[in-house]
Amino acid sequence: MSRYIIRRLLQAIPLLFIISVLLFVLMINTGDPLSTLGGRRVTRPEDRERLSRQLGLDQPIYKQYLFWLIGNDWTKVDMEGDGIAETPGTRKGILRGDFGTSMVQRGKAVTEIILDRLPNTLILMIPAEIIVIILSLAVGVYSALRQYTVTDHIITGLSFIGYSMPIFFIALVSMYIFGVNFKAWGLPYLPTVGMFDPKIGKTTGQVLLHMVLPIFSLTVISAAGYSRFVRSQMLEVISEDYIRTARSKGLPNRMVITGHALKNAALPLVTIIGLDIPLLLGGAVVTESIFAWPGMGRLFIDHLSRSDTPVVMGILMMISVAVILSQLITDIIYAWLDPRIRYS
Amino acid sequence: MKIKLWLIVMTVLIVFSLVMTACQPAATPVPATDEPVVVEPTAAEPAAPEPTAEAPMEAPMEPQVVTFAWTQEPDSLHPFYTDMWFSATLQQLYLCWAWEFDDQNVAYPNLVKEIPSVENGGISADGLTITLHLRDDIVWSDGEPITSADFKFTYDMLMDDANSVNSKYPYDALDSVEAPDAQTVVMNFPEPFSAWEANFWRGILPKHVLQPVFDTEGSMMGADWNLAPTVGCGPYIFDEWESGSFLRFTKNENYWKGTAKIDDVFLQFVPDDAAQTAALLAGDADLGTFIPVSDVPTFQDAGLTVFTVDSGYAEGWFINFRDMASPGIRDVVVRQAIAMSLDREAISQDLLLGLTHPVETLWDPIAGGAYVSPDIVPWKYDPEAAKTMLEDAGYIDTDGDGIREYKDGSPLVLVHGTTIREIRQDIQAVAQQQLREVGIDLAIESQDSDIFFGGYADGAPPAIGDQDIMEWSDSTYFPDPDTDYWLCSQLPSADNPYGYNYYGCDEKLDALFQAQIIETDPTAREAIFHEISKYMHDNVLWYGIYSDPDLWVVNSNLTNVKFSGVTPFYNIWEWDFAK
Repeated sequence: MSRYIIRRLLQAIPLLFIISVLLFVLMINTGDPLSTLGGRRVTRPEDRERLSRQLGLDQPIYKQYLFWLIGNDWTKVDMEGDGIAETPGTRKGILRGDFGTSMVQRGKAVTEIILDRLPNTLILMIPAEIIVIILSLAVGVYSALRQYTVTDHIITGLSFIGYSMPIFFIALVSMYIFGVNFKAWGLPYLPTVGMFDPKIGKTTGQVLLHMVLPIFSLTVISAAGYSRFVRSQMLEVISEDYIRTARSKGLPNRMVITGHALKNAALPLVTIIGLDIPLLLGGAVVTESIFAWPGMGRLFIDHLSRSDTPVVMGILMMISVAVILSQLITDIIYAWLDPRIRYS
Repeated sequence: MKIKLWLIVMTVLIVFSLVMTACQPAATPVPATDEPVVVEPTAAEPAAPEPTAEAPMEAPMEPQVVTFAWTQEPDSLHPFYTDMWFSATLQQLYLCWAWEFDDQNVAYPNLVKEIPSVENGGISADGLTITLHLRDDIVWSDGEPITSADFKFTYDMLMDDANSVNSKYPYDALDSVEAPDAQTVVMNFPEPFSAWEANFWRGILPKHVLQPVFDTEGSMMGADWNLAPTVGCGPYIFDEWESGSFLRFTKNENYWKGTAKIDDVFLQFVPDDAAQTAALLAGDADLGTFIPVSDVPTFQDAGLTVFTVDSGYAEGWFINFRDMASPGIRDVVVRQAIAMSLDREAISQDLLLGLTHPVETLWDPIAGGAYVSPDIVPWKYDPEAAKTMLEDAGYIDTDGDGIREYKDGSPLVLVHGTTIREIRQDIQAVAQQQLREVGIDLAIESQDSDIFFGGYADGAPPAIGDQDIMEWSDSTYFPDPDTDYWLCSQLPSADNPYGYNYYGCDEKLDALFQAQIIETDPTAREAIFHEISKYMHDNVLWYGIYSDPDLWVVNSNLTNVKFSGVTPFYNIWEWDFAK
């Protein structure tokens, strides 16, 4: 197993390199960060030319990538536009831990920008994922054990409804019902936007209260989908011979379901959750935008819309590393859960 | 055993989440500063509030907080590192301009004793020197006086390449700035610059804060002040900025006009329009802007106040008459027929709920239309007259498909481009239908903003001339009528890849625009703009669709609220909540 892990980690290096090249080329071609600089008017030509030079955007794409990767402190750049490269570069490159500075929030380090938002995303996404797992397991198992009963049909109907609704619809409807209308009707209501009420301050209670609607919106669709998956896996497993054997041996039904059936039915779910975990870092763009939750999803989309390559590349590379590591961890957990699986 | 392990893993994750909730990183740290020196207010302007009599000791009142729902988070709070409207608009909270603009968009002195003019000697007869006389009672929030040294420092920082500011305009029009004494600033121009009032001294930098940073680091680009301007000169001071979440300003006790009535201004970043609407309706926010026009009746029904504020912007069609444009759009007859084929009044009424109106020129929203020629006859919606014009000019539908052809038989197709904003796409659909009725085929396309407004080198469609008609909302250097969009020197090419004249070179127009910027006589300048506006209108070089005012929604409990189109929060220190 150790050799397997080491081999996978070594394979990750060229993989990350290829990913970084592809993403960088895509990012450079998504738009011009200097076109309006976020303003309502087109940037003046003199300013665009100057900024293009000063931010290194006038360099060929391979040079921009090279400076992003290994920095430019080993060379000099032409800042004044006189054709003479006499100003020493200041960047160290990502291989030395320098992700650069944002072109939107000029002077602010990319790592600082990301770390400002990452905890907010984890606060929202981890509880949401846990609730999705618990809910989908509970509902899926319950539904499978009562196949074709009225309860099963109701659960199936609700799952299809939940799964087919777009996230923005659920988010806005829940906001209007539990936020706007409940308040108008004189009922206890939930807050609509943000992480806390500024008049009260940022307390744990306030943050938890403001998490309710975003988490509800996030979990409805995922739980609906995963519960169907768990249900079908359970139905497949409980008809297996070893389950019949376990029952005929006199094991209690609870032990048969949880100790044998669920364990085997949940194995594929491990893979899906393993794929989900790195995506937790990316946040949920729509939910964060609607509920004004200051997370990674909004950070990504805000900086992508401004073609802020350093920040977007920082986020994408972080998620790429997380995907590779989570896949490795998933494989290890898989092997641990199922003794039949061995990696050479 | 394995189930226990799963339970342990779940528990750890839940505990981790709760710990993350409690252990939030602090918002942008506020650099430690000395306690501000509370300066006794000097003889105040007539508008300043009278100092109140000492009240008997009472329990401190809860601080009054006004909450803004802000749909775009600023990228910087440094006035020269941002072009975002959502950032520049905040400057009246924590910074100060030499002069600001009231709700009629008329300039009034702020840091200066009076607006310079030829009459008061502030502007030399040849227009090459402008002298500012500063008030002697103006101070930064830490008690340091604001002097001409701050103005000179601002100019020096703008012009230094090491600072990589967003734009040097209009300071690159200056020869030099001098500070002969603490209350005098002298601006020297190589040639007259008539648009000075609208463009200069928007945000003065505190020399005593930023000079040490510049001296140490060689640039102010990485200064903490850029994102945490704890020393300012507005009615409020920066307090806290949590990325993606909120910005908070607290009142400046040293503000020379008097302390603001509202204690805190809290900006909640709410990127989604529908969520902004919900927050305003639920009372979670007291003010919002850039609201969807379709939500205005909802706000009014809910008892909120909607302000319509002219900020010089007008939505219009910019016509491409360069060589690569289609022959049809380069024919003035076709352009005039287009002008008569679009029912702009219906667009304003049906798509914009009557909250705005058609405009004839880019100068309609400026100074009550003072720069618009009185001889202009507005284009009327008259598709029959348009058809007649096109027939007489030889554009006939020979094959009966409803689309007219050129004399060589090719169809009269024009390309219309814009951004992906919903209202623009609605207008495209209406225009396509209405132009088809007169026999013009409008091929419509749209791109994301940073692609649409990209440069010639990026192959942006407007820049390379792929579109015959380009639609967006724009303004002059409001409140000044100056614009350089139609200067021949701004045509983009391989040699001039950043030029932004995407329309064409008209020698007469170019000469008029060059003449107005150096014309110091206001009456003569107005006459030049009359000529410009009439020429552009009659030749349909720019076709106005609607006036694009800023919409502000405000909690009706807020009193004394006024908005300027140039400096929106110019009187925010007078705002208060109704008791």
